[in-house]
Amino acid sequence: MDEISILPTFPLFAANMMLVGAVLLCGLASGHMFARYLRLPRITGFVAVGLVLGPGMLNLLDRSTLTELSIFVDFSLGLILFELGRRLDLRWLTRDGWLLASGVAECLLSFVLVYWTVRFFDVAPVYAATAAAIAMSTSPAVLLMIVHDQRAKGPLTERMLTLTGLNNVIAFLVVTLLFGFVHLEYQGNWTRALLHPVYLIAGSGALGYLAFVVGRLLARWFGKREDIQFIMLLGLIVATVGLALSYKFSVVLALLAFGVFAKNLDRNHDLMAVEFGPGGQLFLVVLFVITGAGLQLSELAVAGGLGLAFVLARLAGKLAGLAIFAPLSGLTQKKSALLGIGMVPMSAIAVVMVQGASQLYPEFGAKLSSIVLSAVVILELVGPLATQWALKRAGEIDAIAEERQ
Amino acid sequence: MTLEFSRSEPLTMGIELELMILSTHDWDLMRGAADLLALIEKSPHPGDIKPEITESMIEISTAVHTNYREMLLELSALRDAVIKSAQRLNLAIAGGGTHPFQHWSDQRIFPKERFYHLHEMYGYLAKQFTVFGQHIHIGVPSGDDAIYLAHMMSRYMPHFIALSASSPFSQGMDTDFDSSRLNNINAFPLSGTMPFVRDWQEFNGYFDTMRSLQVVETMKDFYWDIRPKPEFGTIEIRVCDTPLTVEKAAVLGAYAQTLARHLMLDRPREPSQDVYRVYSFNRFTACRYGMQAGFIDAYARSRRLLKEDIAETLVALAPHSEALDTGSALAGIGANLESGQNDSGWLRDTFKQTKSLSDVVRLQSRLWAGEQRAQPDRRIAE
Repeated sequence: MDEISILPTFPLFAANMMLVGAVLLCGLASGHMFARYLRLPRITGFVAVGLVLGPGMLNLLDRSTLTELSIFVDFSLGLILFELGRRLDLRWLTRDGWLLASGVAECLLSFVLVYWTVRFFDVAPVYAATAAAIAMSTSPAVLLMIVHDQRAKGPLTERMLTLTGLNNVIAFLVVTLLFGFVHLEYQGNWTRALLHPVYLIAGSGALGYLAFVVGRLLARWFGKREDIQFIMLLGLIVATVGLALSYKFSVVLALLAFGVFAKNLDRNHDLMAVEFGPGGQLFLVVLFVITGAGLQLSELAVAGGLGLAFVLARLAGKLAGLAIFAPLSGLTQKKSALLGIGMVPMSAIAVVMVQGASQLYPEFGAKLSSIVLSAVVILELVGPLATQWALKRAGEIDAIAEERQ
Repeated sequence: MTLEFSRSEPLTMGIELELMILSTHDWDLMRGAADLLALIEKSPHPGDIKPEITESMIEISTAVHTNYREMLLELSALRDAVIKSAQRLNLAIAGGGTHPFQHWSDQRIFPKERFYHLHEMYGYLAKQFTVFGQHIHIGVPSGDDAIYLAHMMSRYMPHFIALSASSPFSQGMDTDFDSSRLNNINAFPLSGTMPFVRDWQEFNGYFDTMRSLQVVETMKDFYWDIRPKPEFGTIEIRVCDTPLTVEKAAVLGAYAQTLARHLMLDRPREPSQDVYRVYSFNRFTACRYGMQAGFIDAYARSRRLLKEDIAETLVALAPHSEALDTGSALAGIGANLESGQNDSGWLRDTFKQTKSLSDVVRLQSRLWAGEQRAQPDRRIAE
C-alpha cells in the first residue's frame, strides 16, 4: 500500500489558485507603481505587467496557463458587459435623436475609415471588414474601471458610457454577421453562413432575456436588499456565462443583452442599480493582466505601420462622427472632442473575438490577429490615458480621487 | 452709504426654487448644472434660471406676479422648460428640501467667483449647503414697511416650515425631522433672524456697523429666515423647503401674499420682541414635528397645536383671499391640515412602500414632472 503523502508533491497541486492570487497581486503592485510614480492610469500598469509576464517576454504566464485562466476572462467580460448594458438607456437615445445619430455616425465613420485604411495595406475584404467592425467598439472595461477609479461623474461620463454601450452592440452584431462571410470564405457553405449568425444572435439574445426574467422574479421575491441583489446578480451572471459557453452562444452578446434588458424592460424597477465595487475591480485587475499577457510587442515590429494607421483612422472616424452630430444634441465642440478622445480605448473583447474565430478557422484567426493586434497593443497602452485625460479635462473627475493618486 | 429701498408694487410676489439635478442611472445627484444651463439658454423660456453653489443644483425664479394662478402657470412653464432640456442630457429634476442619500463630500462647487469665495470662507459648510429651498418675495412700498412686515411675518414662519417640509432624509438616513434642511442653515454664523430694529433708518445703521466691521459686504451675506431685499423692494421668506410640486410652491406663495395683505392692511398687532424670544423653539418644533408640531403664541403667551394656529389664521385670511383670488390655494392648505400630511409624509410613505431611497428619488422626480399622483399608491411601488 502506498504511503499516504502528507507532504506536497511537485508540481504543486494548488497551482491555479496560487496563480490567480499572484496575477492579482502583481497587477495591483504594478498598477500602484504606474499611478504613483509615473502618474499614469492604473490600468496601464495592469496591462504592462501582463505584457512583461506573458509569453512575449518572461513567459511566466505561458499560453497553457492563459488558457486555464480563460474562465476568469469570460466571467470578467460577462460582468463588464452586463454593467455596460445597464448603462445603455434606449429611452434617452429615442428621446434625443441627435445623440443616436452621433453614436451611429461615430460607428459608421470609424468602420468606413478603418476599412479603407486596412484595404490600403492589401488586406482581403472579409478580414478588413471584421477588423473595421472590431474598431467600432470602445472598451467598456477601461471606461468602467476609470470611471470607478476616478469617481468620475457628470454628463460627459454618462454620454461616453451610453455611446460605448451602443457601439459595442453594433460592433458585436456586425462581427457576428460577418462570421457568415467567414464561413463562406472557408467552406463555401451557405447554410452555415446563414445559420451561424442567426443562432448566435437569437440564442444569445434569448439567453439574456431569460436571465433578465429570472433575475426580475428573484428580485421581486428578495426585495430591495442591495446585499442580496448583489449576490443574486453575480450568480445570474456566472450562470449565464456558463450557459452561453456550453450552448456555444456568444458570451459577450448574451451578457450585453441581459444588461440592456435589465435597464430598459424593468419597468417597475425591481432590479437595483448595484455597484459591483471592489469585488468587480478584482476581476477587472485579473482581466487586464491577462489581456496584457495576450499582447506581444513583436506585433508592433511586424505590423506597426498598419497598427498606427488603424488607430489613427479609427480616432478620425470617432472624432468626426461625434463632431458632426454631438453639438446638435447640446454639446460644445470642445466636449464632443473630449468625448471622442475618451472613447479611444479599444475593446480587449476584440482579442477574445479573434480567439473565438481562431478556434473555428485557425488561419482566419491568425490573419485577423496580424491586422488587429498591433492596434490593440497601442490602444491598450494609450487608451486608458486618453480616457482619463478626457474626463479630467471635462472636469468630471473627483478632486478627492485625484489627490489620492 | 445707505441702502436705497426700491419701491415696489405692494403685495406682488415672486418665487425662487432651488432644484436638484439627478442621474437617471442611480438617482444620486449629478453634476450637470453647467451643461443644463448651456442647453436651456439656447431655447426661449420664461423667468430666470441660474446656477447655485454646487454643480448639482439649479435655481429657477419667476417674474413678478399679482395673481396666484398666473404664478402657477409661469412656474409650470419654467418647470417644463427645465425638464425638456434635462431629458436631452438624460438628467432628471426633482423638488424636495434635501437629496435623501447624496454625500456632501461628493458635491463640487459651481465654478463662479462668489461660490469659490463662499467655499473658502465656510469650508465644508459650503458643500453641505447642497440643500434646496423655496424663497418667496413679497413686494412692499417702503423700507419701513419691509421692516414692519418682516417682524410681523416672523411669528408665522413655523407655518411655512411645516407646510413646505420635504427633507426628512439626509445623507441616507431618516433624520426624524420633517425639515432637516434648516439644520444645515443653522450652522452659518449669519443665519437666524433680523435684529429687532424699528424702521429702515435703524436697519441702515445696523447694516453700516456690520459692514464697517467687515462682517458683511452686501445684504446677500445675511442668511436670515426673512430678510429685506432693498434692490427688489421686497421682503424675502427663506424658510421653505422646495416642495415636491410646483402647485405646492404656488400655494405657499399665495399663502404668504394673503398673509402679507392681512398684516399690512389690518395691522392686527405691533412687532414684539417676545416673538423672537420663542422663535428658535417654535422653528425647531416645526422642523422636527411638521404638521404635528406644537406652537407657542408669543402674543397670547400660551401653547397650542401648530395646526390650530394655521386653521385660525386661515379664518382671518378669508376676506383677503377673496380680494387676491387665492381662495383655491388656501383651500389646499385647509386640506393639508385635515390630512395632517405634508411632502415629508409623502416621502416617508413612499420609502415605506419601496424600501429604497433611490426609488423614492425616482418617484419624487416623476411627481415633480407631474407624471406621478401626489397620493402614495400601492400601484406605484409594484
